[in-house]
Amino acid sequence: MKLLVVEDEPSLLNSITRYFRQEQFLCEGVTNFTDALRRMEDLSYDCIILDINLPGGSGLRLLKYLREDKKKDGVIIISARNSLDDKITGLDYGADDYLTKPFHLPELSARVKALLRRKYSDGSSIVDLDSLRIDLDSRIVTSNNKAIGLSKIEFDLLLFLVTNKNRVVSRQAIAEHLYDGPADQAPGPEFVYSHIKNLKRKMKEKGCPDIIQTVYGLGYKLVV
Amino acid sequence: MSRPLQQRNTRSLLTWLPLVMLAGSVFLYLILMGHIRHMKHQQLQRKQDNVWNAFVLDTLHFPMKMPGEYLVTRGSPKENLTADSANQAWLTQLHRLDGNPYSVTTYIAAKEFRHLLIKVGIAEGIIFIVLLVAIVMVNRRTSSRLWAPFYVTMNNIRGYDIRQNKPLSLDTTTGTEEFDRLNHTLSSLIGNADQAYRNQKQFTENASHELQTPLAIIRSKVELLTEAPGLTEDSAQLLQEINDANERLSQMNKNLLLLARIENSQYPETGRVEVSGLLERLITFLEDYYTNEGIKTKATIEAGVDVTANPALIEILVNNLLRNAYIHNVPRGWVDVRLSGKGLVIKNSGPALEGDPKRLFDRFRKGRVDNRTTGLGLALVQQIAQLYSFDVRYAYEAGVHQLTLLFR
Repeated sequence: MKLLVVEDEPSLLNSITRYFRQEQFLCEGVTNFTDALRRMEDLSYDCIILDINLPGGSGLRLLKYLREDKKKDGVIIISARNSLDDKITGLDYGADDYLTKPFHLPELSARVKALLRRKYSDGSSIVDLDSLRIDLDSRIVTSNNKAIGLSKIEFDLLLFLVTNKNRVVSRQAIAEHLYDGPADQAPGPEFVYSHIKNLKRKMKEKGCPDIIQTVYGLGYKLVV
Repeated sequence: MSRPLQQRNTRSLLTWLPLVMLAGSVFLYLILMGHIRHMKHQQLQRKQDNVWNAFVLDTLHFPMKMPGEYLVTRGSPKENLTADSANQAWLTQLHRLDGNPYSVTTYIAAKEFRHLLIKVGIAEGIIFIVLLVAIVMVNRRTSSRLWAPFYVTMNNIRGYDIRQNKPLSLDTTTGTEEFDRLNHTLSSLIGNADQAYRNQKQFTENASHELQTPLAIIRSKVELLTEAPGLTEDSAQLLQEINDANERLSQMNKNLLLLARIENSQYPETGRVEVSGLLERLITFLEDYYTNEGIKTKATIEAGVDVTANPALIEILVNNLLRNAYIHNVPRGWVDVRLSGKGLVIKNSGPALEGDPKRLFDRFRKGRVDNRTTGLGLALVQQIAQLYSFDVRYAYEAGVHQLTLLFR
């Protein structure tokens, strides 16, 4: 998968590209408007992560050019401005998703993967993972053909961990991901603990191996 | 004690004007008396001359006495001349005719003069009162017209609130130089204060905004480091502490930014927000987790309660109130939520506040040391409530905290 990251803060850009490279993405990063425009004209990407405030011009203008050029690259906007207007404008211009800074890398990763899944899923909405099978449409999880009854939060939690499989996901990242409201107001990380506990218990009951690990005090990791 | 300007003005007029007028009257009386004495004397003298001349012309036939007019006697006057002094004025002069002394006394009526004095006195009294009333009235009218711009300015200033971001325009062409100057000075004074306030608010927003990037960088680096191979438990522990501190900082910064944005009126979009549904969703979410902590939730929610406001802000408002009830609770405690068209009442069990309840809504005012809170949650509640003129109140009694939010 080819990824372009447009972000003016070099240090943050570095974190993002490094994170995605660890997942075998082909990841390129640029820090300004002109470079971004050149890359976007010359090549096509599976997904572009686009900052709005860029030296040399707005990320929204890049998005406009891209769509006027009839290019179908997936676009996720990352913006420091948490305003509804920006979000609406971004989505109007043809962005696929919108993420407010500061975000957690696993969250960005989950958004990118969800986008790619939508883009390339030839109609199937099934995620297979060893003995675990997750149906995204009907929201049913089965383990060795035995259904695991999960609450909405537990389902979202499992999916988030599966999307970020083999990576450490912090409690804060999970809490913000699960909270269905303004990200600013997500509950504290302690909230995640009980849901993880319930999820692990339910999976164990259905004979699913214990694939969710606790990584010291840092967070959780789903290992396959 | 301070009294209204008009009243003070009238009062001082009423004190000093009569005194001045009284002094004037005394002066007038003295002058009048002097004139009267002079006139009496002149009349008596003229009569004296006429009587003596007539007597000299015809000494034999001239009547020696005419009551009320004159009396001629040989030698010194013999009669008691003070007999009718109340009504008469007289003048006695000694004359000589052929070596014989005669004394002539002439009389005139004094009554007229006294009547004149009384009439003048009455006239003066009437003029005095009319003048007093007229002066006071004219004065009141003039001063109320003169001071009108002052009262306009005063009302404008009273209605001014720096937090409302509304400019204050004061008339600088009132027609009175002093008031023009006053309004001008006030305008620039308020303008400066307004500017300083605006800068202050802008500063908070900018500062929070600028802090976002380094915070995001730290967060991403911690996340990368978390996955670095060869992470020991010891360094994981350190990393976790860095992460927790950073997350708290992020949260605080987000809340500060939010506060600044609300203050800067950056949430203009409003719509109908269904509080009932929102509350149910939030309770389900929080209840789920806190049931494990042993906190029981009871909710009585009237269906279809809505308010006109910014949806995001209302969610923050309700969420903060609700989360507070769970966080500042006791093990195996309870939370009781009631929503009606009038407002929202959240009660919960919990230990008493350590600080002053009046300062509960201040920024960074925390009930107890708790790293789960930023100390800004209730400040946000207060700010949002203020924005939509909701009334938010806190009460504590016998182990029960009660927060009441009344919609307009």
